[in-house]
Amino acid sequence: MEPAALMKVSNLIKHYGDVHAVDDVSFSVPKAEVFTLLGPNGAGKTTTLEILEGIREADSGSIEIFGQQLRHIDRATKERIGVLLQEGNFEPYLKVREVLRLFASFFRSARSPDEMLREVSLEEKAGALVKNLSGGQKQRLAIGVALINDPELVFLDEPTTGLDPQARRNIWSIVSGLTASGKTIILTTHYMEEAETLSQMVCIMDHGKVIAKGSPRELTARLGQETIVDFVAAEDSTLPETLASCCTIVRGEGGLVSVKTNDLAATLGRLLDWSRASCTPLAEMAVRQPNLEDVFLSLTGRRLRT
Amino acid sequence: MKAFRALLRSELSVFLRDKAMLTFTFLFPLLFIVIFGYLLGGTGSASGSKLGLVTPTGVDGSRLESVVAEVGVAQLQRYAAPGDLEKAIVARDVDFGAVWDGATLTFVYDIRRTQENFAFEELAQGIAARFDLANQGRSPLLDVVPMVEGGERNADWFTLVVPGILAFSILSAGLFAVAGHVTSMKQRRLLERLVVTPMSPVALLAAIVVVRLGVVFLSTLATLVTAVALFHVAFHVNWLYYALFLVAATVGTMGLGTLLTLVVRQPSSASSLANVLSMLMLFVSGIYFPIEIMPSFLRALSMAMPLRHMADAMRYTTGVMDMSELRFWMICGTFLIGGLALLPILARYVVRVDRR
Amino acid sequence: MRGIVYLARAYLATALRERITLFWFLVFPLFVLALFSAIFANVGQTTSLTFDIAVVNLDRGSAGRVDFAASVASTFRELSQPGASGSEPLFKLHEPAAGGGDTEATLASEIDALKVGKRDAVVEIPAGFSDALLKAAEASTGSALPAEIRVHTSGGRTSSDMALGIIEQVLVRVDRHILTQLGLFDGARVVVVGRQEVGSENRALGYVDFLLPGVVLMGFLTAGLFSVPGTILFGRERRILRGYWVTPLDVPRFLAGFSLGHLALCALQFVCVWVLGRFAFGAHVNLFQPLPMLYLVLSVATFLALGFLVAALARTPNAGMAIANIVNMPIMFLGGLFFPTGSVPPALRVIMMADPVTYLADGLRASVGVNTASFPAAVSLGIPCAWIVGCAIVASLRLKWDVGR
Repeated sequence: MEPAALMKVSNLIKHYGDVHAVDDVSFSVPKAEVFTLLGPNGAGKTTTLEILEGIREADSGSIEIFGQQLRHIDRATKERIGVLLQEGNFEPYLKVREVLRLFASFFRSARSPDEMLREVSLEEKAGALVKNLSGGQKQRLAIGVALINDPELVFLDEPTTGLDPQARRNIWSIVSGLTASGKTIILTTHYMEEAETLSQMVCIMDHGKVIAKGSPRELTARLGQETIVDFVAAEDSTLPETLASCCTIVRGEGGLVSVKTNDLAATLGRLLDWSRASCTPLAEMAVRQPNLEDVFLSLTGRRLRT
Repeated sequence: MKAFRALLRSELSVFLRDKAMLTFTFLFPLLFIVIFGYLLGGTGSASGSKLGLVTPTGVDGSRLESVVAEVGVAQLQRYAAPGDLEKAIVARDVDFGAVWDGATLTFVYDIRRTQENFAFEELAQGIAARFDLANQGRSPLLDVVPMVEGGERNADWFTLVVPGILAFSILSAGLFAVAGHVTSMKQRRLLERLVVTPMSPVALLAAIVVVRLGVVFLSTLATLVTAVALFHVAFHVNWLYYALFLVAATVGTMGLGTLLTLVVRQPSSASSLANVLSMLMLFVSGIYFPIEIMPSFLRALSMAMPLRHMADAMRYTTGVMDMSELRFWMICGTFLIGGLALLPILARYVVRVDRR
Repeated sequence: MRGIVYLARAYLATALRERITLFWFLVFPLFVLALFSAIFANVGQTTSLTFDIAVVNLDRGSAGRVDFAASVASTFRELSQPGASGSEPLFKLHEPAAGGGDTEATLASEIDALKVGKRDAVVEIPAGFSDALLKAAEASTGSALPAEIRVHTSGGRTSSDMALGIIEQVLVRVDRHILTQLGLFDGARVVVVGRQEVGSENRALGYVDFLLPGVVLMGFLTAGLFSVPGTILFGRERRILRGYWVTPLDVPRFLAGFSLGHLALCALQFVCVWVLGRFAFGAHVNLFQPLPMLYLVLSVATFLALGFLVAALARTPNAGMAIANIVNMPIMFLGGLFFPTGSVPPALRVIMMADPVTYLADGLRASVGVNTASFPAAVSLGIPCAWIVGCAIVASLRLKWDVGR
């Protein structure tokens, strides 16, 4: 049975002159799950999210949230949501605890700042000025602020962009813990691993439109039973005819070759034969299942990462 | 040379497109001149003062009136009673008053005009002294003949202010060229981008100097022209010295800006510090008000202010005040050599990559 | 309500922690108060200044009779000795060696020194001085010209002008002394000179009492004009404000908190300036009364509104700061905060009459008895109120609270 939807977006449209930033977007967000909007820069993810956060107004379309139809997000709704903005900032000369206390004061009910500090692992930085925090610490603070009112629905707009891998993993572990406590998360990202790791539902966007929706597994399953063999070869190397006839070959930058096949064993055999015969080493060879990157590629002909 | 020309073009474009910077550089000194020109008409000088006189009936005030006319009060206004005089003083119809009852000469002042009363008191002293002589049928035996040597014959305080404002605008241009423009480029990592090319930092600095020089010439000329056109101030500008000083001062104040960059931790703090310092200098360098009325410790402090010497040099080149040639060349030399000596440090600052 | 209080606290904390804000809003007004008090309290009293003068006597003295020239020269000599209590003398005297040398050449070289600032004045007692003085003494009133003493000053040097004034006063005394010595003047019949002050009940007024309200207003003006655009525009550009708009906080509550914090900052500013003025410079004005307090609060509100106007007109924080800088100076000076606004031409007079500072400064000073009000209270209070309303209207129409809406 499908989980109940906390939010339903229908036919959302937002144009800026000739640019269709959000072009007839519809999806529904199941309760207590992580729902991700995935797409390259400029796909319309952030604009969509900003409409849902109440920062922008849609040109047309409807939003149903917490069982209510709304034209735009009102104050009562804001009491029940939490938002982590893309490129958001706090007053640089406030201390971490002061920021949490300040935001807590905007809501009718809020959690204690000290509790939030523990939850985002910033206890040691409670008295530090915002301007002295690292990028990862600032983002953890932003999450703390987004959760200060114990919201039912949390928007996280590109929460790990610009962070180093360690900081990114810290954020992931915080986010993963949130659905366990019954919160619904709407996440935007252009990192495929993030979408795969965290989400139960993914909505792929490109040029303002939704081009695919489903769980990561459902989406990759569209590509059938294909397995992918990646390796690096010289750019001018010619692959054998036998391969081209049975597989889909995609050449990427830096000599990356991706061979998509339904028959892994046969493909591997042909590749090894060719490598021996032409003395072409199969550098950095890896065998993997299709991922969302491949889904996007198959839908648009472009890579997620530009 | 190619790099220099290209950088010159880009520096010029950047400057001209920055409307805030343009307005600040050109409009600000003009605003100063216009406002101060009108405000300072009359501060500290008592010529043009109006005196109110009361002599009760039966008392002969004619002798007093003729003495007042001799002393140089601009207007004399008679009142019937002391009460009328008081009202007139409070209402500023007259600047101060005198009541002569045949035995006592009482001068009446508005206690709130604290900045101006000393000038009226001087006049009053002159009146009292002359009146004493006239009462005993005497005229003064001595006459003081003032003779102005060198400089501008009729230099009032405003004439002295104008070169001071010019000096300040040169200071701002040079100071903020480094502790503002260059530091902002460093902060936005524009310098890093330039530096990884074969471009020599000297070419960039030369371009900045040339643009600033052009700006300084134009803005000081515009300010001078405004002062002359609006307030009919007389300047006898020695254009050669004017030009030489402008070059030396611009280079020197850029050197000052370089010193600031060495002191601050963050590039962004440099312009704030420059703002603070230039404002403080403006107050104690004898530009807003003469150094001579400041307490002695402030007078001593002002000697250490570059702006003080810049203002004096500008007064010299505009013919307002005389100065020994030696002092003028020493000022020019100090600024020029100091600025040039700091250029390599500035070049190193441009090139140095700060570890984040 | 809690939100409003916490916003106010955040505003105040941020203002006090940022060093540069602390400087402009607290240190700078204190500096202006101290500097102006130190300077203008001394105006007219030149006891701290010693003037470098030269006295060149070209007169050979009247044949056989009293050498008046020498007597004049000796007066200056006396005034160049240290005072009884060891205080600095009025003059530092340069005199050519007695009896020797070409005095004309000496005069020329002293004048050269004067031009380059090595002397403040050169007193020339011309040839024939004693004879001319004797003739003037012997003649009946007005029938002979007085004897000339030439005082050479350096063009464009204030110290020279001041030296001239002092020398003129000295020579008036010398003149009287000579007249008395010659029996031509009776010192006992000198006119009694009195002094009276009008214009305020408070007899103890000094310049600092005039200055203090001006500095307080200057501090409020700076705070309003600069901190508002700085905080709002900076906050908007960096999306700090957007972080508020995604919460239940709305613009009116934000404004309330912001204004409360601003009022607290101005109150702190006021206390610091008042303490310095009262205890370091002896200010007597009592600002802690209902009417002055009303003007003070009205001033904070007016300048806050002006700040919002600037924020509404500027697109970027830099533009906002530039606008604030440009309007700050004319508003301050034309409003009569530091210098009396004397005769100004019609164009500037219009600006003066529109400038809310003109009315606030006038009303505030009148309310503490430092001034007689130039405008009725209805006008002094009404014009700033009109500005508040006008700025509020423009700001509410034009001010964007978020980027790229």
